Amino acid sequence: MTDVNLYDIIRGPLLKFALFVFFAGISYRFFRVLLLGLPEDYAKPKGNPLTKALEKLALKPTQGWRFFMEVFAHRGIQYVGGFLFHIGFLGLTFFVPQHSFLWKEILGFELPYMPQLVADILAYSALLSLIALTVHRVFNPVLKLLTGKDEYFANILIGTIIFTGLLASRWSGGGLYVWALNLHMLSAVILIAYIPFSRLSHFVYYFLSVFFYGWNVGKRGVSF
Amino acid sequence: MITLSQIFKEKGYSRRDFLKFATLTTAMLGLPPAMFPKVVHALETKPKPVVIWLEFQDCAGCSESFIRSTTVMPTEVLLDFISLEYHETLMAPAGYYAEESKREAIEKYRGKYILVVEGSATPEGVYCTVGGHSNYELLKEASEHAGAIVAVGSCACWGGIPKAEPSPTGAKPVYEVLRGKKVVNIPGCPPIGDVMVATIVHFLALGKLPPLDSLGRPRTFYGQTIHDRCYRRAFYNAGRFAESFDDEKARNGYCLYKLGCKGPITRNACPTIRWNGGLSFPIQSGHPCFGCSEPDFWDRGFIYRPLSVVEGGFSSKEIATGIAVGALAGAGIAWINRKLRGGK
Repeated sequence: MTDVNLYDIIRGPLLKFALFVFFAGISYRFFRVLLLGLPEDYAKPKGNPLTKALEKLALKPTQGWRFFMEVFAHRGIQYVGGFLFHIGFLGLTFFVPQHSFLWKEILGFELPYMPQLVADILAYSALLSLIALTVHRVFNPVLKLLTGKDEYFANILIGTIIFTGLLASRWSGGGLYVWALNLHMLSAVILIAYIPFSRLSHFVYYFLSVFFYGWNVGKRGVSF
Repeated sequence: MITLSQIFKEKGYSRRDFLKFATLTTAMLGLPPAMFPKVVHALETKPKPVVIWLEFQDCAGCSESFIRSTTVMPTEVLLDFISLEYHETLMAPAGYYAEESKREAIEKYRGKYILVVEGSATPEGVYCTVGGHSNYELLKEASEHAGAIVAVGSCACWGGIPKAEPSPTGAKPVYEVLRGKKVVNIPGCPPIGDVMVATIVHFLALGKLPPLDSLGRPRTFYGQTIHDRCYRRAFYNAGRFAESFDDEKARNGYCLYKLGCKGPITRNACPTIRWNGGLSFPIQSGHPCFGCSEPDFWDRGFIYRPLSVVEGGFSSKEIATGIAVGALAGAGIAWINRKLRGGK
């Protein structure tokens, strides 16, 4: 099998399969959580649960800054690294030109794409943040206990995607260039299919858990 | 014995022209400068190479390209330089006499002639029959005592358009038909004429084939992607893309990736050697590369769509199907848990 044959397989049947698994898997887990079945709560709510749940969905990321100094002093690497990583990875996923062309096919409209210089800055900051966060996980005694194979696998996968993406856009590579593209797309395909079965699915659960948290805050009539 | 040097003289070209040709060929082949005297010596002393050119399932575009290899040498010199003992499109004789002269050439130059094959072969059936012999028989006969076998064009190298789905004739590339024999592949639709000539000159000057990659292509010409050597690469790196054919961005040299350019996965020398005497190549003319020198390019089927999209498409319909399947499975399992396992 040549590198071009492999490329055709990855961006054809493999990518299609991975996307299908992604949407089916995310939907499956979403409904599993939604229909989990909580016990009936007969207490009369002290506030408005729905309003508070929606407020938390919209504003929770900004409300956390009230405790910024307190939390930042203890978890600076996580805050800064996490912020840079998420901005970088999400920005690259949606707004790099080549990805924008892919999203056009899936969504039906083209997302605006960023200049390559911005993409490069995001890629380097996301990659360095990912490395810093991984090292932090290894050496922080509490995080170390919370971290399993799932996190390490996901981090390696995402690191490979960003690194090979940088190679694909910047590197010449001679005859090996197609292999860099293959590695980039293959690791992305694995990640897409892996997301629903890993903690990376927090990008869906985050909204569910924040909604649930807001609902409870509203029910108790408190602000946090 | 006629040599290239003599042919240059006879045609009225100076020794300076001859040395220019030798310098250019040495450079094109990627040989070190120290090899230049050896190339010159070979071209001055060795007899002109004997070529038997067979055409099977093809469009004769590779022959057209071959006789227009103007960067390397003038066409009139080229046609004299290479002793084309047999070429259905270019030779004057026809019928029985043509076939007889081919057989004589095979006997006379046994083990020395270069067999060039254009077009794909068909081991089954009676396609491209000449003088009552199928192309498969003709290929076997001519390859038996060939000094070197060169497949030119994507049809001969990979099967090409005749092999594209549904491949009605059962077309096969030359290397598959001649298993066990070394075949040099010079793919492209058509390949660059200068690349064909330079490969023959390498065989003539050094007595061996040029270094080949895993697919049998000369590394000098097929060692890098078009993307790597493309003059529009800087615009790719800057994230600037033409939106449509011949729009202002395309005319200003913006990258043609969005219009379906396959340069990043295609290995060929188009951006460096170019066509028509180094005048231009498809990307320079505003058309994206469609990867004609890579195997099965015709069946890839997305000539004008960017490389990064899903081949075969993935739209909202597939997304909705996936979400519905997941929702049904999730709701079903949740119902089973509630009813049968008490929520556990």
